[in-house]
Order: sequence, then C-alpha cells, then structure tokens
Amino acid sequence: MKRKYLLIAPLAVSLTLVSCGGDKTEGEEELANVDSAKTEAPTAQVTETFFQVPSPGEMLTFIKMVGGKNNKNVSFLNSPDNQKNYSDTKAKALNFGIYSCDLSYCSIFEIGSEALKYFKVVKQLGDQIGVSSAIKPEVLKRLEGNLGNPDSLSVITDDVYFSSFETLENSQQGPTLSLVVAGGWIESLFIATNLSKYDAKSPVVERLADQKYTLDNLIEFLKKYESDANVASVLTQFNELQAEFNKIGEKDAAAASASDQSKKILGGGKELVLSAEQYKVIVDKIKSIRNSYTLTK
Amino acid sequence: MRKIFLSLFILSTSLMFSQASVCGQFHRKYCTPDSKREKSEWQYNAQSKSGLFNQGMTSKIRCVIYKGMDYRINVCCETTFGDKLNYKIFDAKTNELLYDNAAAENEPMFEFQSTATRQLIIEVSVPTGSTEKDKHKPMDAACVGLLIEHKVTDKQGFSQY
Repeated sequence: MKRKYLLIAPLAVSLTLVSCGGDKTEGEEELANVDSAKTEAPTAQVTETFFQVPSPGEMLTFIKMVGGKNNKNVSFLNSPDNQKNYSDTKAKALNFGIYSCDLSYCSIFEIGSEALKYFKVVKQLGDQIGVSSAIKPEVLKRLEGNLGNPDSLSVITDDVYFSSFETLENSQQGPTLSLVVAGGWIESLFIATNLSKYDAKSPVVERLADQKYTLDNLIEFLKKYESDANVASVLTQFNELQAEFNKIGEKDAAAASASDQSKKILGGGKELVLSAEQYKVIVDKIKSIRNSYTLTK
Repeated sequence: MRKIFLSLFILSTSLMFSQASVCGQFHRKYCTPDSKREKSEWQYNAQSKSGLFNQGMTSKIRCVIYKGMDYRINVCCETTFGDKLNYKIFDAKTNELLYDNAAAENEPMFEFQSTATRQLIIEVSVPTGSTEKDKHKPMDAACVGLLIEHKVTDKQGFSQY
C-alpha cells in the first residue's frame, strides 16, 4: 500500500486543489509564489477545507422512518418521459441528480417497478455526462433480482449515486459534479415538501429547516466552480433560496437529558424555528427552482 | 521564468489527477470497523472522504450532523503512517473545540450525538514522525480516510413508533 511520490513543492500546491469543494487554502494562494514555495520542506502543513453535502437518500430514509412507511406516491417525481427534453450539459447534469434522487426514493419506499424505470433513465443520462463506467449494465440485473428486497435496492441505488460521484470527482469534472449534487439535493427537498404539511413539531419540517446548514455547504461547494456559467446560474438561484433560509429564527437547543449521559453528547447549538409563513415561502422557492430544472410546471 | 512556472503548473496538475484517483473510496474499503463488516444498523454517510496526505499535513471537512441521529467517525490510514492520526471536531459556527482524539490516546473511532443540528469542522492531521520508529522518510505520502456513519438515535422510554 505504501506509495512514494516525488513530493516537491508543486505537490503541496496540488494537494490544496484536489477534490471538490476545497476552500481557498494556505497552499492555494501560494500558486503565484511557487518559486518561494519550492524551498519549503515537503512536510509543510497544508490546511484545506472541503464542504460536504449529505446524500439525498439520507433525507428520504429519514422521511420514511418518521412516518412515511406506507407511502407509494410517485406523482410528483420527474417523469422518465421528460428525459428527452434535456439536451444541454446543464440540464443533463441537473436532471441526472434529480433522477438519481427519484431512483433512490423508489428504492427506499419499495416501489420496485418504478425504480427500474428510473434506473434506465439514470443510466441513459449517465452515459451522456460521462459516468457510464459507474453504471454498469449488470446493475440492472441486480436491481431486477432484488425488486422485492428494499434493503438491497437501496444499497444498489446508493452505489449508483456514490460511484457516479466518484467517477466525476476522479475525472475532474467538478462543474458537472456540482450540478449533479445540486439537482439531487433540490429534488430531495421537493419530495420532502410533497410528503409533508406544515406542523411546527413535525420532524420532517424540522429537517427541512435544518437544510439551511446543508445549503450553506452546498453553496460553498458550488462557489468552487462559479466560473462555469451553468454553475453560476444555479448558484444565483441557491443564493436566493439561502436568503429565505436565513430568515428562519433560532433558539437555544435543549440541554442533554440525564438519560443521555451514557453516550457522548455534543451540547449547545441552536434549534431553528420555522414559521408557517416561512415554510410556505421556502416550499414555493424550492418548487420554482426544481421545476426550472425539470422544465415542468 | 514563465517556462518554469508552466512546467510546475503542468506537473502539479498531473499530480492532482493521480491523487484524486489514488485514494478515492479508501475510507469505504479500509475504515470500516471490524464489527461493521457484519450486518449493522450503521449507515454510510456521504460526507465521508479520503485524501492523500504527507506527514505534517492537516486537512478539514465541513459537514452537517442532524439532531436525533447517532454518528460514528472512524479515521484510518495506510500502515506507512502508523496509528497516530489526530483529529479534532469543532463547531463550525463558534469554532468551539468539541472533541480531540488526542485526549483519548488517538483513538480512531468516536461515537456521538448532538443536541442540535449543526455544522462541524473535522480537522484531520498526520503528525510529523508519525511512524513507530521515526524511520519514515518525510517524502512519503499515503491515503487517509475519514469514514462517517449514522443511525437513528434509539428512542428511550415508551414510544408510539
């Protein structure tokens, strides 16, 4: 496993640039001063921050867990028939993320026949955005063989998402990757808002408010590629959505209860308090952004 | 000067490609606790990450953890770095240090939950001279993985679910 590399100064520079979502770092800003960097020891500390985004499946699994077990509604998903409408790079990448989320939804909620339809459209769009190696034909056979096994279906569809992510990351297709992540995230929120109604104590509403933090990370991730016009336009929409999330009120989180003392609790922090009015504005904004990607009403 | 800069840039770019693919999903292959290899209720969290480190290097991720979930972090690396990886967890908003595995003899695994949904900064460091006998050459590089897993916090007491 041990690997040796010629770790001269450019490595310190390149290490700071690898992967998606990297923030400006101590090494990155030294790109213009590479001559002086050459003299630094190869073990010089390099600090870098990557902005991570939970997968759409995490949100959907949560919704199912808090009361959506019997849900089989697919009416609000992006119809596979719409795939023919996505001709440019931006639309393909965004809808690859959206369809991947829909596929995940069908798997998690045990709607196997629909999962097959969504897998096929994910495969077709994946071939077009350069992740064909991540979605091999045998995956379809695995899906067909596990239609009655929701746990296996979820594992298979998660693998499709993560393999696609990795392929785009490794092939340095940052703008495409960021659009895929953006599409998957907005679709997971769109699904969540279609499955829930406003109730201040609803776990789904709480989780929706908490997306404020995920959106912060996602925006930082998108900023990395904002020189790309497609990413820049998505960033503009997400900034508008962030402005609405930023209006959500906060209160101190409840202290850890005595019965929680057996495990490590990270205390403190703030709970978000989402009002009915704010909920409506945010839901409408999510719908508007999502439908601008799917080209639907 | 321009040629030197260009050469260095091309070299660094080529290294970027090799590093990105070198470590890829290292964390999924090597950071899974032994007990997890059997069926477990812990689920893979997409905020996990791997990267190529050299000694003395520090890297951070900013991630989101949700209230009502248990989380398990496991940091691992190729044997070339020994087992002295250090990681710290900060509240991203306040910069408050919430956990430092140095206080637990560099224990790689940490289970926790949070009273509120929040952004965390997880800072992973490979100390200089991290190998057992310090024979390690400083120019070696190796993969480091940060595996994050989650599960729904067990409800305590009676529940309708």
